[in-house]
Amino acid sequence: MKKLKLNISSLINCVVFFALLITLPVVTALLPKKERSEMENKPLQKMPSISAKTVFNRKYMNDLETYISDHFVGRTSWIKSKTVLETSLGKRERNGIYILKNRLVEHIAEPDYDSIDKSVNAVNKFASENDVPMFFMIVPTSAEIYADELSKNAPNPNQRDVINYVYRSFGKGITTLDVYPVMESNKYQYIYYRTDHHWTTRGAYLAYAAAGKKMGYTPLPEDKYDIEHASDEFQGTFYSKALYDKVEKDTLDIWHPTAGENVREVAVTTMYGEEPQLYDSMYFRDYLSVKDKYAAFLGTNAPMVTIKSDNEGGKLLVIKDSYAHCYAPFLTEHYSEITLIDLRYIQISYKQLLNPEDYDQVLFLYNASSFISDTDLRKLAYD
Amino acid sequence: MVFSSLTFLYYFLPVVLIVYIFLPNRITVPLGSDRHLVIPARNLLILLSGFFFYAWGEPFYVILMLFSTLIDYTAGRFMAKYDDSPAKRRLCLIVSVCMNVGLLAVFKYSDFIIDTVNGIFRSDITNPVILANRSINDVYNFGLSESRVALPIGISFYTFQSMSYTIDLYLRNIKVQKSFIGFTSYVTLFPQIVAGPIVRYEDVAAELDERTVNINKISEGICFFVKGLAKKVLLANNIGIIWTQIKAMDYREISAATAWIGILAFTFQIYFDFSGYSDMAVGLGKMLGFNFPKNFDHPYLSRSVSEFWRRWHITLGTWFREYVYIPLGGNRKGHGKTIRNLLIVWGLTGLWHGASWNFILWGLYFGVLIVIERLGWGNVLKKLPSVVSGLYTFLIVVFGWVLFDTNTLSDAGQFFKAMFGGNGLGDSTAAYYMASNIVIFLLCIFASTDLFGKLTAAFKKKKGKLYAGVTPAVTAAVLLLCTSYLVDATYNPFLYFRF
Repeated sequence: MKKLKLNISSLINCVVFFALLITLPVVTALLPKKERSEMENKPLQKMPSISAKTVFNRKYMNDLETYISDHFVGRTSWIKSKTVLETSLGKRERNGIYILKNRLVEHIAEPDYDSIDKSVNAVNKFASENDVPMFFMIVPTSAEIYADELSKNAPNPNQRDVINYVYRSFGKGITTLDVYPVMESNKYQYIYYRTDHHWTTRGAYLAYAAAGKKMGYTPLPEDKYDIEHASDEFQGTFYSKALYDKVEKDTLDIWHPTAGENVREVAVTTMYGEEPQLYDSMYFRDYLSVKDKYAAFLGTNAPMVTIKSDNEGGKLLVIKDSYAHCYAPFLTEHYSEITLIDLRYIQISYKQLLNPEDYDQVLFLYNASSFISDTDLRKLAYD
Repeated sequence: MVFSSLTFLYYFLPVVLIVYIFLPNRITVPLGSDRHLVIPARNLLILLSGFFFYAWGEPFYVILMLFSTLIDYTAGRFMAKYDDSPAKRRLCLIVSVCMNVGLLAVFKYSDFIIDTVNGIFRSDITNPVILANRSINDVYNFGLSESRVALPIGISFYTFQSMSYTIDLYLRNIKVQKSFIGFTSYVTLFPQIVAGPIVRYEDVAAELDERTVNINKISEGICFFVKGLAKKVLLANNIGIIWTQIKAMDYREISAATAWIGILAFTFQIYFDFSGYSDMAVGLGKMLGFNFPKNFDHPYLSRSVSEFWRRWHITLGTWFREYVYIPLGGNRKGHGKTIRNLLIVWGLTGLWHGASWNFILWGLYFGVLIVIERLGWGNVLKKLPSVVSGLYTFLIVVFGWVLFDTNTLSDAGQFFKAMFGGNGLGDSTAAYYMASNIVIFLLCIFASTDLFGKLTAAFKKKKGKLYAGVTPAVTAAVLLLCTSYLVDATYNPFLYFRF
């Protein structure tokens, strides 16, 4: 009698084991395959094609394993449950993202000062070759402003030190715009997204207002804007990396001047040498319904974007990362033409693209994290 | 293919197992009149699936394995044929051993040997394997390595396994395997082909011809497998991340606490990685009807270095004892010879782990310590309280891992300096690593003792029915948990694939 009981237990054990081993791949096979994971913000592996070459160099096997993992039934649910388990065991970092109380911030690598020096030297060279007033703004990121919420001793480079070092290294022709104090003193306002690496429109506004004096414009006061909550369902890049659900979704705001917008034309060059595509607004509302909602500001990163407005004022050249996308709309009140260039997507010398001396001012706008890891500013030193 | 992958777990394994369970050991096909064709169906499936499993990871150099198998099988048949001619039998053995050792020399040690020669004579010799790879790539574009010889997966394991056959046959410990399918299925048996345990032919000779598969055995195999999977995926991978990060730091700057956290993390990673793999192999073997020898027996509880090596990678130790130490005379020819034999075995054990001075030194380090224990220190250890001798052994092993897993001897030196406070005792990095990984460290400590085994045994004895009911639930829970870690696999190496 006793022996029989044990056998039943073995039988159940086998049934459970095999049921799982069979059900999961069968369900996976039956489900339709997606091309992209919106949640993780990445394209998924396609079914690889087989040939003697791809078998012997193992590409076929590697791709097939990625395919199996990318399309495995309930992929994001598996990952999320792992995250929940790990955070409940005290882990506070996932995939390069720190999980704070109600916010995700980036684990930024220790700065490499040799690399930073290369960027600084290139900018100095650029400033000495082009006789235009230059301004440089490095915006601290949420990892710096909310560093006090991190677990004790978590590696997190001091961005104040980096910004000070860089600002001290600039030559005479460059005016530094230090927005650190204004971000720090407004940290209890909603100035950074909780789930994305960008600043919010309010964060950008505060920096715009603070920079007015040095750049020579009078910022439009806050009460001259109507604030539109364009989306309250935003889960950004940090969310995609950590897949951690317990942080509140973000709200994405668009600030419309009460007096009306003066933007006449937005020209986006996606491939230099080709004709730009023309739009009549800085807000690409189609993106509000997809995952990457921040792209509602001037679209995804393009090598060059030119915004023309009906305002009086000079011409401004902005050399930037994506922090500039929600910042540029504020500037349209003070300039007749703003050109944004993104060096990450430009493989030729800037001289083939434009002449900086055609502009009245040049603004560099970077967040501290992308500035630390940047390897593209040095292109400014190329001939 | 590795066991801890979705591809193996959810595609390869269920297909092979289900077909295997429903196949008989042999299928007899009548060929008219009185003749029959007997197909060893299960062995054939093992052969084919093992070939597929191996070629998945090593699609080109699978030819080496086939070559080695063919030679050893033929050597075996000839040995049996010339049973009364000692000279011919010896020749067969020499061919087999030279071929296997030769494969290792060319594919595992040639870079090391050539680098050493180039270093001494300031010459500029290129490895012939690289030259061959280049000309193959020129024609077929297979992407074979053109700079360093890439170690064919599992070559250190399968050459040793198949040598155990010819050596034991020569020593008349076993009978010849007449069936080519039978012998090849022993070599390609997928649970153990790439990372052991080093199953000697003798261990499975009987089961190769006749074995039974039943629900109880499969269930037992599942328990072993799932336990190994958990060790690998939940413990080894998670604690391994800590060591990968600390290993990459500058040893001239890290504090003592950071260095200790790092090397302890590796201490646990390599144990759970390798013993997890062995458990999975043993479990899979049981599901297929084989009983593989035990490979680990809570080695970190050892009270002397000699004991540690009786409990760590047991099948490798057995192999060297049976085929090197004892043939050299073992301990029967006086103190001097014994010491010589021990040092030879330990130098080879180190070298087996890889072609570098670190590994040779690592092996000799243990050899010397074992000799010292033989000379009387072992008796002192026995009299000491177990906490003291246990801690002593554990520290010796941990220092050994520094030699083992740093890249060069000077790296190892700097790491030792850091461990002894050369760059300060503690810092915020160490505090952060400790605080954020304390749970995984405690789990690893617990799991490397025999407490878990004792607790489950007591539970089984007292509450047999409950235990029987809980087992399937644990199987399901661990499998699901491991799946979620595999779907999100950012870090999932197998350490013993390098050997």
